[in-house]
Amino acid sequence: MKNLKKIAIGFTLLLVLPFTVNAQDTTSTFDRQAAQNNPTNYDSKPGKSKMMLRGYYHTGFENTTIGDESNSKFTPGSIAPILMYRQNDKLFFEAEFEGAFEDGEFEWTIEYADISYILNDYMTVRAGKFMLPFGTFMEKLHPAWINRLSTKPLGFGHDGIAPGNDVGAEVRGAFYTGPIKLNYQAYVVNGAQLKDGITGMGGMEVEEDEAGMLNFENGVWGDNNNDKAFGGRLGIFPFTNSSLELGFSGYSAKVGGKDTPYEDVRANLYALDLSFVRNLNFIKSVIDIKGQYMFSQVDDANYAIPEDTLGLYYDFNNVSSAYYAQVSLRPSLSGNKFLSRLEAVGRYSIMETPEGSLWESNPTQIAVGLNYWLDWRTVLKFGYQTTDGVGGHSEEPAGAEEMATPSTDLFYIHLAIGF
Amino acid sequence: MKKIIIISFIIAAGIALASFLNSCKPSEAVLAKSGAQIWGENCVRCHNTADPSTFSDVEWDVAAMHMQIRANLTADEIKKVTEFLQSAN
Repeated sequence: MKNLKKIAIGFTLLLVLPFTVNAQDTTSTFDRQAAQNNPTNYDSKPGKSKMMLRGYYHTGFENTTIGDESNSKFTPGSIAPILMYRQNDKLFFEAEFEGAFEDGEFEWTIEYADISYILNDYMTVRAGKFMLPFGTFMEKLHPAWINRLSTKPLGFGHDGIAPGNDVGAEVRGAFYTGPIKLNYQAYVVNGAQLKDGITGMGGMEVEEDEAGMLNFENGVWGDNNNDKAFGGRLGIFPFTNSSLELGFSGYSAKVGGKDTPYEDVRANLYALDLSFVRNLNFIKSVIDIKGQYMFSQVDDANYAIPEDTLGLYYDFNNVSSAYYAQVSLRPSLSGNKFLSRLEAVGRYSIMETPEGSLWESNPTQIAVGLNYWLDWRTVLKFGYQTTDGVGGHSEEPAGAEEMATPSTDLFYIHLAIGF
Repeated sequence: MKKIIIISFIIAAGIALASFLNSCKPSEAVLAKSGAQIWGENCVRCHNTADPSTFSDVEWDVAAMHMQIRANLTADEIKKVTEFLQSAN
């Protein structure tokens, strides 16, 4: 019954939101009556408040092979409607809802929902739940119609080492100093939670074998302590043509639960990111290079050995890192209609989690793909991904976005559309 | 006491940043960029360049504000890009 209610709410949302697909101006009744008398006036003079629905959806076929076992399926993927509302020239609201099947149940979640206020030409403040600018992948590149591959690199998503979104406030903007452009973001949010192996949160079970890992979903449920996380990113465009962007991100928070032995445990995270997009006229193509390196350091702490009756503890150097490098090439300038829609992409990523922890792992992943762009926001992706490494606590088959288990191969055909 | 120091630092840093931003000026080459050029250089950094005919003028007003915030575009950049898209759709 509860699931039926969730599905009903989801479908109601889908039925109602399309009526806002065409940007709606919220002109007053008086203006609407005037418009009926003279439709030309109504068409040519929209109100200041405007709304539209955008978003993306992806679906496809996947074949996963772990060791000798193979499993293939058509995947329903996920749908992510994005509601955008421009109140006036200063105020903006947007929210992304994500609907997907989780463990056989269809669930809606809010990826982000925030209100922005443009303070001046160089600064915007916003509050709510927003994507964190820790590098660029999660904030800007992960949507299915933008991501050149159908999977996330190692280090992102469930069991990753990078924060994705959180609840709080942010200031952001951009400015020029001569020919060089700089952009910045600084935020304060509820922050991550340390999985200490003895306490759960938000209805989650205690996961003893994940002691020492950070849970970035903490902020959604509240805050496990009164300490807030601070972070930010600074990006620089050294060239006037904006082809190259280099970014540095930082994030710091106390992550231990209040009134627990871990309340003083702090986590410091850093990330470096790179983006280079340039026309290569000699091969009539556009090259797109992306990369991100992430480093996570959590204060040392003692964790209880699971199922130990003597009350013994263990510790380890709680340091994790991950990086990815991706190159794509598209002969957009070839003049041939078919060729110009093709795109080749390759990505290499590595993650290392703490030696001595129960979730120690060091997977390496190689992903290659060939895309065919039906239009600028609709893509058919053919891809192959292989993940090797040792460790990892998960006993579940590694899907596209799960922590790696040894020798996992994935072949997929995905269709993604941005709307 | 620690909180007062942190808050004072944030306020001082904010004032310093605001003063710094106010003194920053783009170069002549940057100022001379057209909306079409900015559109061509910036959209492609994350996704394929949007076809201007995708949206109406009103819709571009909304989409442009979204991109100004998400892609950290300056007010001058987004004004030029919006004018271009609304003239070319």
